[in-house]
Amino acid sequence: MAVPIEEAIAALSTFSLEDDQPEVQGPGVWVSSQRSATQSPIEYTDVAAYRLSLSEDTKALNHLNALTHDGKEMASVLYTYRSCVKALPQLPDSMKQSQADLYLETYQVLDLEMSRLREIQRWQASASSKLAADMQRFSRPERRINGPTISHLWSMLKLLDVLVQLDHLKNAKASIPNDFSWYKRTFTQVSGQWQDTDSMREELDDLQIFLSTRWAILLNLHVEMFRVNNVEDILQALIVFAVESLELDFSLLFPERHTLLRLLPVLVVLVTSSDKDSESLYKRVKVNRLINIFKNDAVIPAFPDLHLSPAAILKELSTYFPKFSSQTRLLTLPAPHELPSREAQEYQRHYLIVNHIGAIRAEHDDFTIRYASAMNQLLLLKSTDGSDVDWSKEVKGNMYDMIVEGFQLLSRWTTRVWEQCAWKFSRPCKDASPSFSDYEKVVRYNYSAEERRALVELMSYIKSVGSMMQRCDTLVADALWETIHAEVQDFVQNTLATMLRTTFRKKKDLSRILSDMRTLSADWMANTSKSESELQSSQHGGEESKANIFYPRAVAPTAAQVHCLQFLIYEVVSGGNLRRPGGLFGNSGSEIPVNDLKQLETFFYKLGFFLHILDYSVTVATLTDLGFLWFREFYLESSRVIQFPIECSLPWMLVECVLESPKSGLLESVLMPFDIYNDSAQQALVLLKQRFLYDEIEAEVDHCFDIFVSKLCETIFTYYKSWAASELLDPSFLFASDDAEKYAVQPMRFNMLLKMTRVKLLGRMINLRSLITERMNKVFRENIEFLFDRFECQDLCAIVELDKLLGVLRHSHELISRDLSVDSFSLMLNEMQENISLVSFSSRLASQIWSEMQGDFLPNFILCNTTQRFIRSSKAVPVQKPSIPSAKASFYCGTQDLTSAHQSFARLHSGFFGLPHMFSIVRILGSRSLPWLIRALLDHISNKITSLEPMITGLQESLPKSIGLLPFDGGVTGCVRLVKEHLNWETKSELKSEVLHGIKEIGSVLYWMGLLDIVMRETDTMSFMQTAPWLGFLPGADGQILTSPDGGDSPVVSLFKSTAAAMLSYPGCPSPTSFQIMSKQAEAADLLYKANLNTGSVLEYALAFTSAALDKYCSKWSAAPKTGFIDITISKDFYRIYSGLQIGYLEESAQVASNSHERLGDSVAWGACTIIYLLGQQFHFELFDFSYQILNIAEVEAASSVQTHKNSNFAVQGWETLLEGMKKARRLNNHVFSMLKARCPLEEKTACAIKQSGAPLHRIKFDNTVSAFETLPQKGS
Amino acid sequence: MARAGGITNAVNVGIAVQADWENREFISHISLNVRRLFDFLVQFEATTKSKLASLNEKLDVLDRRLEQLEVQVANASANPSLFAT
Repeated sequence: MAVPIEEAIAALSTFSLEDDQPEVQGPGVWVSSQRSATQSPIEYTDVAAYRLSLSEDTKALNHLNALTHDGKEMASVLYTYRSCVKALPQLPDSMKQSQADLYLETYQVLDLEMSRLREIQRWQASASSKLAADMQRFSRPERRINGPTISHLWSMLKLLDVLVQLDHLKNAKASIPNDFSWYKRTFTQVSGQWQDTDSMREELDDLQIFLSTRWAILLNLHVEMFRVNNVEDILQALIVFAVESLELDFSLLFPERHTLLRLLPVLVVLVTSSDKDSESLYKRVKVNRLINIFKNDAVIPAFPDLHLSPAAILKELSTYFPKFSSQTRLLTLPAPHELPSREAQEYQRHYLIVNHIGAIRAEHDDFTIRYASAMNQLLLLKSTDGSDVDWSKEVKGNMYDMIVEGFQLLSRWTTRVWEQCAWKFSRPCKDASPSFSDYEKVVRYNYSAEERRALVELMSYIKSVGSMMQRCDTLVADALWETIHAEVQDFVQNTLATMLRTTFRKKKDLSRILSDMRTLSADWMANTSKSESELQSSQHGGEESKANIFYPRAVAPTAAQVHCLQFLIYEVVSGGNLRRPGGLFGNSGSEIPVNDLKQLETFFYKLGFFLHILDYSVTVATLTDLGFLWFREFYLESSRVIQFPIECSLPWMLVECVLESPKSGLLESVLMPFDIYNDSAQQALVLLKQRFLYDEIEAEVDHCFDIFVSKLCETIFTYYKSWAASELLDPSFLFASDDAEKYAVQPMRFNMLLKMTRVKLLGRMINLRSLITERMNKVFRENIEFLFDRFECQDLCAIVELDKLLGVLRHSHELISRDLSVDSFSLMLNEMQENISLVSFSSRLASQIWSEMQGDFLPNFILCNTTQRFIRSSKAVPVQKPSIPSAKASFYCGTQDLTSAHQSFARLHSGFFGLPHMFSIVRILGSRSLPWLIRALLDHISNKITSLEPMITGLQESLPKSIGLLPFDGGVTGCVRLVKEHLNWETKSELKSEVLHGIKEIGSVLYWMGLLDIVMRETDTMSFMQTAPWLGFLPGADGQILTSPDGGDSPVVSLFKSTAAAMLSYPGCPSPTSFQIMSKQAEAADLLYKANLNTGSVLEYALAFTSAALDKYCSKWSAAPKTGFIDITISKDFYRIYSGLQIGYLEESAQVASNSHERLGDSVAWGACTIIYLLGQQFHFELFDFSYQILNIAEVEAASSVQTHKNSNFAVQGWETLLEGMKKARRLNNHVFSMLKARCPLEEKTACAIKQSGAPLHRIKFDNTVSAFETLPQKGS
Repeated sequence: MARAGGITNAVNVGIAVQADWENREFISHISLNVRRLFDFLVQFEATTKSKLASLNEKLDVLDRRLEQLEVQVANASANPSLFAT
């Protein structure tokens, strides 16, 4: 036995179909199992079963419906007609002989189009005559057939509407007569050789008259109708029906309402232009009621881009229907463009959505909450079995009410959109420049930003309520059927029974109709409270007063039942007489008491609405269809263009408006405008059946979506960038800032959009999330690239700015990674740094830093020892750089304000190079490229030394063989002269300055290493603090690192080991091996981190290297005394050379105020003292340096002059600045020497090496050859 | 004037209507459940799609990661001399 359906279906719901897709789009999938009830289901063939003698009526009704169906296709042909003539080619002069061929081809092409027009002409003639015949047949006073039924009236109205629409289209499309005249011309050219063209010619003339006559169809219809003089009755009945339906406005959804509004003026014109008493209409319908309706709806939407207005229709028709022109009251209504400004303002207030959006929002919120709660109740009901009947009825009834309310809401809202659209078309933007096209005037410049936002909001309400209702279609279906069933049964079994017993007791014929109503719709078996016999008695008007209770049956009445019931009620109230005065239900002269009439009326209109509910999904689709916002066929024709640019397209304008005002909170609705495209594509294919329209829409959507994604990504990126930048701003700065708000970033909700993996677009599913991810990956790389480019155009000082901006980027990456899986930042950074390869140690940035140091920093920057900063020398030659590339603010810090805040911080560091810069370098290069840079710099030192060697030899050569101590008796002046005599380097001033520069560069590199050393110490200490507790290190009393006393494993290893052991002993452990692996990994980590602890000093390493590099020249620069004693007169040692250079430049700087110092800075002292120290000449230098000696002499001189009290300071007069400079130099040199002594004790030449992995070897004994330093990665490898 | 209504064979029609109600109950029951099946399929497809999408995303990330590792390894193994001790 198969599983019962119920259970099987219920089992499906146990599947977890959760899906974290936000609902930010309209409904998409339609599944409809039946032909819709509102559009003549199965042609009412089942009506005959009810034996109501309605077969004539049904036949006529189906006939009209078929005509309406054809007519709609004709209308779509006309609406989408595009001029062919425009596309015709012009023949060049050289091809004039083939003119005849062109005519023939043109004829053939146009003939196809014209045959369609001919078909329309033929169709309208036959449709008019059939409609007229139908009306005449069903409005004879001595009626022999039943009818017309209400559905029949609707069919008449709909066919009439189609005919009038065709007329409007024919009038509005100028290209059709145009094409036709061309066709006629080619016909006369082509048909010359043909025989028997007379009939064709006639036909052509006919068609020409039809096409060129305005209102040809309506006039024809008028003639057809009034062949027999009794259609006024039915026309009046139609007007009464239309007016009452419009005034009641309960059961009408907007398409029907618009149909009635469009037809009413035409009907009035038709009735009043008859030969009979034209005033009889106003006896049934007061003219004020008509005027009220016309005034309330000054513009009526008819076609997507063409509106109608009752006043204009009446006015225009009055010239064609002379009898109507006497109706002055109706003719004086102003058309929308003639409205006085005050009234126009009022209409404006009514039509613009922006004036109602607050109320709509409240309605929406209220409705969704109540709908959701009704839905929950229903689900609760379904999940409890054996529930109380009353409760179940209440819940289902509540659901039904919500659905009815929802349909009405949707209908009202969509009407608003239609009407605003029509209003905008009727009032083009006034202050437009003449260069704008018509379409731009009515659409592009006609909606203010606020109006666009309101439109988007309303649209998203429509779409979201629509999809909410669509989604629960199958859930609520049986509840709805049950409620409708109960309503119908309650009416026919209870209300009618009461009526039969009381009011209609005496009226035989009326009570027969009522009991017919019961017969054809009552479901007695569903009635559990009575036995069969009682049923029989109740059917015949039994006396029970107790209302029946029904067994709920989830079946709705068929459309035929509704049709028959409506017909019968209409019969009861109207008595089957079309001519009866008064309205449908509103007449007082009726024999039926008011109370019953009211009940009948309510049920009558309810029946009308049941059909919409039975057509659930079709109704939702119709009510949420906003495709009309895209179509613009009339404007395309009048503007003579093939298609408008997308800036003029309303859907795209809405998307753009949302993206451009991201703060308006509409971001989640940004996909809604794309539903317009979905709808319009659907319309193009299904309603209009035009492939080319679909192609145009598709092309536009493709284009729009691309732009949309790129704009969206830009917005997202900017937002995350500025968020990150504002988080990274210094809090104390923010606290002190007066306008800190401008640095705050308003949160935006992108995460909904970032979750969208299924965007429905023209039947395709688009993974928006992956598109965004792709673009984000790209834009992050572009941004890194840009930052590098920017850095490459600036000097080394910009490294802080780069670091800062990279930090912002990294942080924004971190923030965006919460919602989106973007590539890891380090991966992207490596990629852009071009050091993906395992064996590459240089990187784009490292080589840039190196070339910057080599080309700009070392030659042009000078050291200030006191501030520990390098600054650009004022004497330096400016280096040519490419100009700094500029980019949009999102590539800096998001917004302009944040960018300037961050830049002002970076500017503080742009003038010098110091510790902050070093921190940035260490952070950016990391342990991977830093050794490469160090190696490059050390190589630079050794190269410099090599290149210095011949120059120093040159200087040595010009020194005298021996230089003794300076004699004290010469005083300062004498000594200086003597020194000058010794140093006869006048011819070698260039050599001198080159040597000085070389020494300065060596000094700069060494000092730079010193800075690097400080920074590395700090970062190493930091990482030590973090790892020490895990590795089990304890600081000892003397600052030494001790391992924890218990020995054995470090805490991290023992932790993981014990965990693994515990897990292994636990039998239920799912994957024991992974714990073993973890414990092994802990050991590996332990080893790695322990190795990292023994960090050496970069500076010491550099000094050792320099010393090794110097060893080669030791013999040349420091002659070993032959005697074994210190030779004080020796003149070739390096310290002598430097001594001379030092006094030389001290003198120079004393003469021209701080000139050479500005070129050299303090690093000369660093370089020279290091070389001297490493050559072991420190003491020689301190003893025999010229300036030191002079200082000593000056001291003695000063002391003696103080003793003698005469001419104090006489001797040193004129030398103060020089002496001051010498003192400074001595202080500086002493400082350097003491530092060197501390960092590089000469007693044992030790050094530390750095292994390729970056881990240093600590204080190993080291052979001092340059080749020992090959462990560092080579520059250029 | 002929009044409308007047079902010619009221009793037969009444019986037929009653039978019709019952038949239609069965039909609407079946059709509703078919629609529910359909709904389920549609939803199932949607869920599957989004699950596949998230899987695809993870694969994408892995793919790029793997590509990077491959480049690194290829580069390293192209220079075996570097690893000779």
